[in-house]
Amino acid sequence: MNTKAANSGSQKTQSGRPARLSLADWMPKIVMAPTVVVTLVCIYGYMIWTAVLSFTNSRMLPSYKFVGVDQYERLFNNDRWIVALTNLGIFGGLFILICLFLGVVLAIFLDQKIRAEGAIRTIYLYPMAISFIVTGTAWKWLLNPTNGFEKLMVDLGFENFKFDWLINPDMVVYCLVIAAVWQASGFVMALFLAGLRGVDGDLIKAAHLDGASTFTTYRRIILPSLKPVFFSAMVILSHIAIKSFDLVAALTNGGPGYSSDLPANFMYAHTFTRSQIGLGSASAMVMLGCVLAILIPYLYSELRGERHE
Amino acid sequence: MSKASIGRQTTWVEKALRVALYTVLLIMAAVYLMPFLVMLLTSLKDVEEIRTGTLLSLPSTLDLSAWSKAWGEACTGNNCGGISPYFLNSFQIVIPAVLISTLLGAINGYVISLWKFRGSDLFFAALLVGCFIPFQVILLPMARTLGWLGIANTTTGLVFVHVVYGVAFTTLFFRNFYQAIPGELVKAARLDGAGFFTIFYRIILPLSTPIIVVTVIWQFTQIWNDFLFGVAFSGFDTQPVTVALNNLVNTSFGGKEYNVDMAAAIIAALPTLAVYVLAGKYFVRGLTAGAVKG
Amino acid sequence: MANLVIDNVKKRYGTTEVLKGINIAIEAGEFLILVGPSGCGKSTLMNSIAGLEDVSEGRILIADNDVTYTSPKDRDIAMVFQSYALYPNMTVAQNISFGLEMRKVPKEEREVEVQRVAELLQISHLLNRKPAQLSGGQRQRVAMGRALARRPQLYLFDEPLSNLDAKLRVEMRTEIKKLHQKLGTTIVYVTHDQIEAMTLADRIAVMKDGEVQQLGTPQEIYDNPANLFVAGFMGSPAMNFIPAKVVSQDGNPMLELATNSTVTLPFPKPEALANHIGQTVLLGLRPEMITEPQPHKVGQDFVTTTDIKVEVTEPMGADTMIITRVNDAEINCRSNPAYPAAPGSVIEMMFDTSKAVVFDQASGQRLDI
Repeated sequence: MNTKAANSGSQKTQSGRPARLSLADWMPKIVMAPTVVVTLVCIYGYMIWTAVLSFTNSRMLPSYKFVGVDQYERLFNNDRWIVALTNLGIFGGLFILICLFLGVVLAIFLDQKIRAEGAIRTIYLYPMAISFIVTGTAWKWLLNPTNGFEKLMVDLGFENFKFDWLINPDMVVYCLVIAAVWQASGFVMALFLAGLRGVDGDLIKAAHLDGASTFTTYRRIILPSLKPVFFSAMVILSHIAIKSFDLVAALTNGGPGYSSDLPANFMYAHTFTRSQIGLGSASAMVMLGCVLAILIPYLYSELRGERHE
Repeated sequence: MSKASIGRQTTWVEKALRVALYTVLLIMAAVYLMPFLVMLLTSLKDVEEIRTGTLLSLPSTLDLSAWSKAWGEACTGNNCGGISPYFLNSFQIVIPAVLISTLLGAINGYVISLWKFRGSDLFFAALLVGCFIPFQVILLPMARTLGWLGIANTTTGLVFVHVVYGVAFTTLFFRNFYQAIPGELVKAARLDGAGFFTIFYRIILPLSTPIIVVTVIWQFTQIWNDFLFGVAFSGFDTQPVTVALNNLVNTSFGGKEYNVDMAAAIIAALPTLAVYVLAGKYFVRGLTAGAVKG
Repeated sequence: MANLVIDNVKKRYGTTEVLKGINIAIEAGEFLILVGPSGCGKSTLMNSIAGLEDVSEGRILIADNDVTYTSPKDRDIAMVFQSYALYPNMTVAQNISFGLEMRKVPKEEREVEVQRVAELLQISHLLNRKPAQLSGGQRQRVAMGRALARRPQLYLFDEPLSNLDAKLRVEMRTEIKKLHQKLGTTIVYVTHDQIEAMTLADRIAVMKDGEVQQLGTPQEIYDNPANLFVAGFMGSPAMNFIPAKVVSQDGNPMLELATNSTVTLPFPKPEALANHIGQTVLLGLRPEMITEPQPHKVGQDFVTTTDIKVEVTEPMGADTMIITRVNDAEINCRSNPAYPAAPGSVIEMMFDTSKAVVFDQASGQRLDI
């Protein structure tokens, strides 16, 4: 009873504790400190810095004269930015859809006890190990209107075959789609294949005993259980799409004109070569907004799911 | 009845489906292989053959001159020494960056999963966001910082940048791996008298070989293939190979030498391709580990 | 070998209090078992003793030294974990000697100690294996060997047998008892298995909601539970709780039961019921106190025979459990398998209330102490 009276409140505990504040107890925090500092400064600090710059009239050098949302207004009145955003919509949409479709189909096909599955899988996935710059360089040559794919088809006898998407401002964005799909679809296949292998075997046996055909089993049982994989793949693909910069740089360099620009290229050009730091920062913030719009619901559902387990 | 249908040999419909299945899979394999094959064929032809032949025509002779030119003579921007110096730059950037970021990731993962403290989970969530931000939002502040630190346009600066933005991923990898290690193992070792680093070095690290391989491969591929940081933060003679390749391809003096471009592209892709072929299993594990579970 | 004092230990996480002032004193060489349902705070208390978690308030003394803020490695404690927590990358011998190595014991001495422990636990032939190559029972032995090697002052066992199959669990239980008798060590042992608690302990601390409900020898806890929770937790099948009305008969308070007919049972401490006449209390009666009529007991004080209606029988080999309804509560009776008791039939049974206890219906507190 008297101990309780003496210990009123937590202060006593605090003063009793210093005996244990040895270096060893601080070790976990000490070794984490560099990462914490670097993360707070180089991710969150810089994010805020860029956000601040996007509200200033910074041109060649950062200035801190605030101009409100002027830069954002300029941005959305800028024809080149609108083209870049539209391109992102087309490129991102097609890229994600085609990758998902190819990924699912190839994964299901490969899941049918295929001989040499390992070798085929390796071939589908190798582009993922390559830099987008190399991919861009290769496809630039393949899609070259004079010497590339077009010539191959003409020489094969299709004399009127024309394939000039790479120099056609209306079609050039589809070249980006082709190259990006080639690079990333194998990865989506690998994700789904891993998902398929993780489906409970008893579930499939039960479906077969219930009289379901292989097709029905996939459609009604297996694919619905892969919903989380769909979401993961979509998040990753949209993330790749929004960040796409190197592919454009290598394949089209934004051209013809600026018809194949993506937001990342717009941002880079305005910040580093056209001395429009304020505008570039505003475009970066819009990109961040796009990523967060996709990421936050995803992380939220992921974390909630984890708590349910 | 079901016994009979199992015992029966596959019908012709099933056989036809199998054939169709294999056909589709093999055609797709050819599609995926084709660009690399074209690159290889093109790099072995001379300029004349490229103009007259098609993408898939075989070179008449094995001409390696494009390769040696790409390696040692081709012009990237104003510099005409091939891509070999940049190839070495890439190694100079990649090796320290991979080692440091992997080590940091291992220690961070160890703390976050086995030495939790107040706020460590929150910090992990904050770090996770770092995996996903578009790097455009940090480019300019980072450029200024590197300038202040006096490491702008140096390989040291690039190593720094790659460590800073790679550590989120490496931490994620190690954290997820260490999450499966029972906390009782650490408790037992603490009662046995082992400290923070002894436990890490003697007990945790010996269990970590698979995740170290996955992380090293992931980081190697990511950093080798990087272009954005390379182009934003490197000087003329500290460019990584991806930037040099892009300059080489976009430099046009006179006629376009596609064979040299292709040889240079293959050279730039070779290290990561080699890793993929030799350790594909771990590469895929890294890809899916980073993706499926957050 | 040392004594252990847990003095008013409290542990809070934020505003939730998981330990609400624990007071336990253990003699040197004593075997104490902490038992309770999951979430009762027994593992937290264990971690606090080991120093793996800080306590919010109170003191912990080992061998009369205050170790409340001493780091785990300096408390001279060994712990056996539920998952065994063997170091997967080390051989059995390395696992056992790791703690000695950390304490800078010379190599030769370590080897001698490993041999001693291995012989004690009969694992000498396993010394060069890795944990992954061992069976569950063997891992359990190695985990104990690791604890024994350092000859610490205090051993903590955290549900060490719960990952073993039933047969092995019984074997290892005996083994632990033998070891304790041979070595005379001080042991604090957490379990949720009340048979383990009954068979191993010198004393048992029954915990619930961060509080010690009762601390006593196994027999005290079994015969004299402090409250309804302890009474229900210890014993299998559990004690029967029968809501019974207290009636006055010839000036004596009796308990009224509706079996097949209505009977009144005498109670050994009538004074405890004197103030409750007309009220309903909970009568606690162990199954073995409701049996077929046994000639040598019939006619004794506190023995009443009456008819019951059999609902279900559960033969268990040595005994048969007969399930019936008394005062609308389902109760278990333990009878000889030879005694005829067909479901649906009405048979004569004997209620022995000499060891009966009564509880307050609302609070669950014992009324007769």
